Amino acid sequence: MNWRLTFLIVGCLAAIWALLSIGGFPVATVFKDMVFGSFGNVKIFSKTLREVAPLLIAGTAVFVGLRAGLFNIGVEGQYTVGALACAAVAVWIPGPVGIVLGTICGMIVGALWAFPAAWIKAYRNGHEVITTIMLNNIATFATTALVAGPLKDPASDNTSTASIPMMLPSLTKKPEITIALMVGVTLVTLLWYWIKRTVAGYELEAVGANPSAAEMAGIAVRRVTISAMLASGAIAGLAGALQVLVVEGRFYKDFAQGYGFDSLGVALLAGGNPLGLIPSAFAFGAIKKGASFITVEHGVPKGMTLIILGFSIVVFAAMRYRKQAMRVSQ
Amino acid sequence: MNDLITLFAGTIGLSAPLILAAMGGLVSERSGIINIALEGKMLIAAVAVWLIGVNTGNPFLGLAAGIGAASLLSVFHWILTQRFAVDHVVSGMAINALAFGGSNFLDKKYTNPSQVNFAKFDSWLYWIVAIGLPVVIWIYLARTRGGLRLMAVGNDPDKSRQMGLFPQRIRLFSLVGTGVFCGIAGSLIVSYAGSFNDGMTSGKGFIALAALIVGGWRPMPALIACLVFGMLNQLQIQFQGVPVAGVMVPNWVWLSLPYLATVVALAGFMGKDRTPKGLGKP
Amino acid sequence: MEGITKQFGTVVALDNVSLNVRKGSIHAVVGENGAGKTTLMKILYGAYPATTGRYSVNSKSQRFKNSAEAISAGIGMVSQHYSIIAELTCLENLMLGSEPGWMISKTPAIQRANDLAKQMGFQFDWEASAATLSPAGAQKLEILKLLWRNSQIMILDEPTAMLTPQDSDALFASLKMLVDRGATVIVVTHRLPEVIEHCDHVTVLRGGKLVADEPVNESEANLASRLAELIVGHAVTMPEPRVANLGESILVVRDVMVKGSRGDDAVKRANFELRAGEIVGVAGVDGSGQRELFAALYGTTPIAAGKIEFHGASIPATPRERLQAEIRWIPEDRHAQAVIEEWRLDENAALGQQRQTPYSDGARVNRTGRKEAAEQIAAKFKTKFGKISDPIASLSGGNQQRFVNARALYASPKLILAFQPARGLDIEATRAFYEELSSAVTAGATALVVSFDLDELLQYTDRILVMNRGELYDAGQTRDRLDIGKLMVGAA
Repeated sequence: MNWRLTFLIVGCLAAIWALLSIGGFPVATVFKDMVFGSFGNVKIFSKTLREVAPLLIAGTAVFVGLRAGLFNIGVEGQYTVGALACAAVAVWIPGPVGIVLGTICGMIVGALWAFPAAWIKAYRNGHEVITTIMLNNIATFATTALVAGPLKDPASDNTSTASIPMMLPSLTKKPEITIALMVGVTLVTLLWYWIKRTVAGYELEAVGANPSAAEMAGIAVRRVTISAMLASGAIAGLAGALQVLVVEGRFYKDFAQGYGFDSLGVALLAGGNPLGLIPSAFAFGAIKKGASFITVEHGVPKGMTLIILGFSIVVFAAMRYRKQAMRVSQ
Repeated sequence: MNDLITLFAGTIGLSAPLILAAMGGLVSERSGIINIALEGKMLIAAVAVWLIGVNTGNPFLGLAAGIGAASLLSVFHWILTQRFAVDHVVSGMAINALAFGGSNFLDKKYTNPSQVNFAKFDSWLYWIVAIGLPVVIWIYLARTRGGLRLMAVGNDPDKSRQMGLFPQRIRLFSLVGTGVFCGIAGSLIVSYAGSFNDGMTSGKGFIALAALIVGGWRPMPALIACLVFGMLNQLQIQFQGVPVAGVMVPNWVWLSLPYLATVVALAGFMGKDRTPKGLGKP
Repeated sequence: MEGITKQFGTVVALDNVSLNVRKGSIHAVVGENGAGKTTLMKILYGAYPATTGRYSVNSKSQRFKNSAEAISAGIGMVSQHYSIIAELTCLENLMLGSEPGWMISKTPAIQRANDLAKQMGFQFDWEASAATLSPAGAQKLEILKLLWRNSQIMILDEPTAMLTPQDSDALFASLKMLVDRGATVIVVTHRLPEVIEHCDHVTVLRGGKLVADEPVNESEANLASRLAELIVGHAVTMPEPRVANLGESILVVRDVMVKGSRGDDAVKRANFELRAGEIVGVAGVDGSGQRELFAALYGTTPIAAGKIEFHGASIPATPRERLQAEIRWIPEDRHAQAVIEEWRLDENAALGQQRQTPYSDGARVNRTGRKEAAEQIAAKFKTKFGKISDPIASLSGGNQQRFVNARALYASPKLILAFQPARGLDIEATRAFYEELSSAVTAGATALVVSFDLDELLQYTDRILVMNRGELYDAGQTRDRLDIGKLMVGAA
């Protein structure tokens, strides 16, 4: 800890406090309710866990990219197209077969959606941040058109698909642990083993840490870049698919609002170790749930959620890069 | 003929905020700071212009508030990247989040529904500024001491320091410039629309950044890229629902056109790599 | 400068060093890498503050907070790697930091630039990009930059490191001219012949301490060896001349052409053969095509024409296959190409051989094997480090280089490609490296070494190839500096 960082943390908290108190909200109660809104009782806690699962998986998607030196801002788009693909398949083929096929399709479509950005990054040196943001917009327009048109539920007025006939059950009830959460934790564990214990993981991290040194070490940098981006897209697609199968039961317009940003925060907070994704996704889920609780309870505008998340990212990032800078300067 | 006039006027109108934002991005990136926060800076300016414009009835105060808000956010960006060494992309994302959340909070909290008399400048005033700005920046970079130092710092901060320059100071100056230009852009967007809406910049900051990259970080080519994007947008407005060459192009394709064009432009972005060499370096 | 001490954390870089430079002289500051020469100069230039001690310029006590203050006090510095920004034009580089006004009008600026150039007998195309300058041209531009700023005290850090012998002589002639006009020049160098031939006064630093400070007496018979002893701290033993025992042919390069990044012919028809048992040096001015030649040998750049044979067959296509065929390299830019700074020593040990034993079984990492190998690599050149699990960034530059050099020699390589392997190494460490390289080639390998330091190649290699503007010449066994220098500038 140093005074500068302390100053930043205090400054961010003060800014939130000032916004709330000038806005005429009872600050202490609001903060207390934020905690209540995420951990208040078993039912509330189960809802927080529901929120954690997609954050964990989507955060893993961003994490895979980050380890290879890629900022996949496109998780939002890949998540959206993955969710729609899965919903369409699961509506079309009912039952377990549809669920499995839907998940696979969601992953494939998510990876395909990441491909242009991957290719442009590897072969044209076009920055993936720009291309993935553009692809997010296209994903929004295309999926909206599809659920307003060919894939729309004819029996409903909403711009959404029909409900899927079979959803994935929960594993436990109190608190509720979903299959999505279990998949997320398993995925993170596998990823940990893969990155820290296999040569392929070593090579991926080498590309992310120093691409020219990686090239000199005989690593096919372009191939690793493309694979990492495709894996990232597939995992994002998986997150979307599971959200359909576990929580939503259908796909609707503006399905992924904000997930791209949240997952980036989750991945950044996790630091260099995949296992860090679990507490990180948990923290983000809690903040999100708590913040949306105070919007309902106190009428705090929903923008507050983003303000709190934004400041959290600022503080986490400052801490993390400080540590790195200190290590290098020693 | 009428179509052409509409196309021309519409193109200027839709390009103007892109040009202003792209020039904001240009001064920042040429000094070495990756700036994906143009979007957020415009948005915070838009809400400031809206609230102050409505509540004071003074368009000057409104514009000043917009410029001030965007510049303040820019200074925060500078503190994060230069004082805390936070990654430029991450800090840009965080600033966008703060601006989205902050503008929503301020708008919901302070908009008075009974007062709707929004004091603002006419859009054409902004258009003139937008068309003139690239020329001014071009001259500034090529012909002035400040411009030379800005480019030097953006290409090689360490060597610039050896030559007695202060890269951090120069970058602070550049980022305030970004704030001013994004402030004007945000002001234009909200003035043109007539009222504030959540997320009303609708990705213009990112399109502007793409135009800047496609234009090779140079003012005049970036201006042209912005005009092309503006024209694509105008084409979409004019031709959606109208069959083109006998084919009915779906609406979402028209909407996606500017974004699609960006991806294609980056895919075909060949020739000399003009990325400022010091981009993202401390 | 009096009683200057500088600490970086717990490391004492300078310990109570005093330096007195007389106006109108050429003053040499000599010492090994890490002796504190550059640190001392950077303090004078305002880049670092001194921990303790004071300094005065023209009898006026000073304490510069930054380089801008030093520049306005009439001090100028040319750093070893120059401070020329390649993306700007020559004129822009010349003016940068002390432009004549807030608006830049080119005509009067070019006028003044030409006047300065004429004084020194130089010629420049001011509107050209600085990226096109040769090392000698860049050095000349740096001197004009000092004149443009009216610098009275000029600090040059290793000014001849990148120059041919002829260009070095020309540089000192220019410096002499400046001194005659009243300027004061401080030259930081490790090359003793130029100290003896051109400088008036010499200060020797060793391990951050002042060990000698005396006028240069050219007539003293053993001055060079006495200074060398002062620098190293003990008698310098010259290595035994190697007798190369040539074995089988390992690498054959036939009519190889390589394109540069700008599409130019960076390497034009290179022809040479390396045989087991020999160390071959590549001499040449920086930017003569050495980089592109090596990139073609690493496999990171395709060759435009010709062929490369390794052990009588066509060389494998990709860097990975070449590494697997026991070809090893020591890349030029340690920081950017050879190590991953935030990684641990053992992780860095595997870099390049990550798919081979003992680092892995091809798929899974063998952490024990990796750790043991890293320990052996670190021990080879006595790399100083804390723990094997420390990030390599915690090592000094010289120690990182030792580690990288040892990694290339680990586990019987067949061909060693070394680009400036002695960068950042002191005399002892350089000798230790070449001794190990020598035993590696005696054991049946062969080595190709690029260095911009001709003396290093003359001392340690068996045979020298010279590159000039992409052409490769075989200088054979010649040991004559000036003959090789002529080849380096294409005057042979």
